[in-house]
Parts: sequence; C-alpha cells; structure tokens
Amino acid sequence: MAVEIDEGMLVRVQQENFSIDQELERVRARSTRIGGIAMFLGTARDHSKGHDVSSMTFEHYEGMAQKKLKEIRERALQDFDIIEALVLHRYGPIEIGENIVLIIIGAEHRADAFKACQWCIDELKKITPIWKMEYTPQGDVWVEEHP
Amino acid sequence: MKVKLFGMLKTMVPGGKDLEVVLSEGGRVRDLVHSIQIEHPQVGELLDKKKVLVSVNQEIAHWETMLVESDEIALLPPFAGGAR
Repeated sequence: MAVEIDEGMLVRVQQENFSIDQELERVRARSTRIGGIAMFLGTARDHSKGHDVSSMTFEHYEGMAQKKLKEIRERALQDFDIIEALVLHRYGPIEIGENIVLIIIGAEHRADAFKACQWCIDELKKITPIWKMEYTPQGDVWVEEHP
Repeated sequence: MKVKLFGMLKTMVPGGKDLEVVLSEGGRVRDLVHSIQIEHPQVGELLDKKKVLVSVNQEIAHWETMLVESDEIALLPPFAGGAR
C-alpha cells in the first residue's frame, strides 16, 4: 500500500544536518511493498589527495542543484524497479566526520535497490552543481575531481 | 547581462564577484565566451578547454545557444565529484 508523502522532502539541498533514522523512516513509510532498502551516506574525510583536511565548505547553485537532484530521483524511479528514492545534499561549512550526502532507495528486492543507489550517487557527482572547498595546512583548495 | 560565478572561478576575477557582460541583441553563448576571454583570459581559457560549462536558465548550454537579457547565466567549474 502506498502512503501519501510530501515529495519535496525526498529531494533536498540543505545546510543543516539530517537524521538518517528520520530519512530512512520517510522512505520505509512510503509503501509496505518495500522489502529492501539500500543507502549511501557520504561523510567528510580528514584526508584528500595526500594532504590533511581540517574542514570543508560546500557551495551550491541554488535552484539548479535542487532541479538536478529532482531529475535524479525521477530518472531513478523511471529506470529502476524501485519504489522510492530519497536524495539529500548539504551545503555550507561541514566538519570532519559529519554527514554530507544521503541516498536512500526502497525497493521490493535488494538487487534493484543497490543498483539504483549506486547510479544515483554516481549521477549526482556528475551533474549536480555543487562545489567543495577543502581547508588544508597548504591552503584552501577547490576540489575538482570526478569519478 | 549578469553572469554568476561559482567555486574556483570566484578566485580568478577581481573582487570575486559575478561578471557583467554587455552583449548585442541576438548574441549567443559563443559571443559571451568571447567577451569573457577578452576581459578575463584566465576564465576564458577554462571555457575554451570546456573545463568550465555555461548554463542558461539552469540548463547546460551550447555555444550556439541564443541569449536574451532576462536569461539567468552561470559559469560552472568542474563539480565536486569525488573518487568512486
């Protein structure tokens, strides 16, 4: 049985941290047909390309970033055999160890959930206008690596 | 017209502010890029190498995309990415 939900809550770009439990519940509550949930959580590392990182800041293109995350969710729902997809990304200053990005996929079976989850995070990295500045002992660096 | 800058591009222009580019009517993205190349060669080089993309109204544009005064234009350096 499908439950009515606010779709805007399933695609968000926000400054504040998120609760993984709450977000998981949001997806789980979507349908009692869900039998497998896959999740990707990206967190802030203290090391990058051979140098220490003390913290970081994410900048996003307001409007376009949200639009791209929405597109990713819609394409995932269309192209994979899944029931729900949630895509969140934070912006602003983020300390080491904190949450950055969250993808949660609810499906009937695990294989589809895993596949869609991997696709969503790879696509997010490719098409979402979000930039990361890392603060290192050598100076501040805008990161521009790609998968 | 105003051109929004993000990420490392802001460190490449004086004051790190958005660019103001004057285009004649019927101008295309290639004309915009040409103007930027003259005023800000460092940014222009990245545009030329396609390391920086141009978006018009929040969609990636091509060099032939026509521009009008009300368009929302931005220069997008490589996204944060992240190794797999």
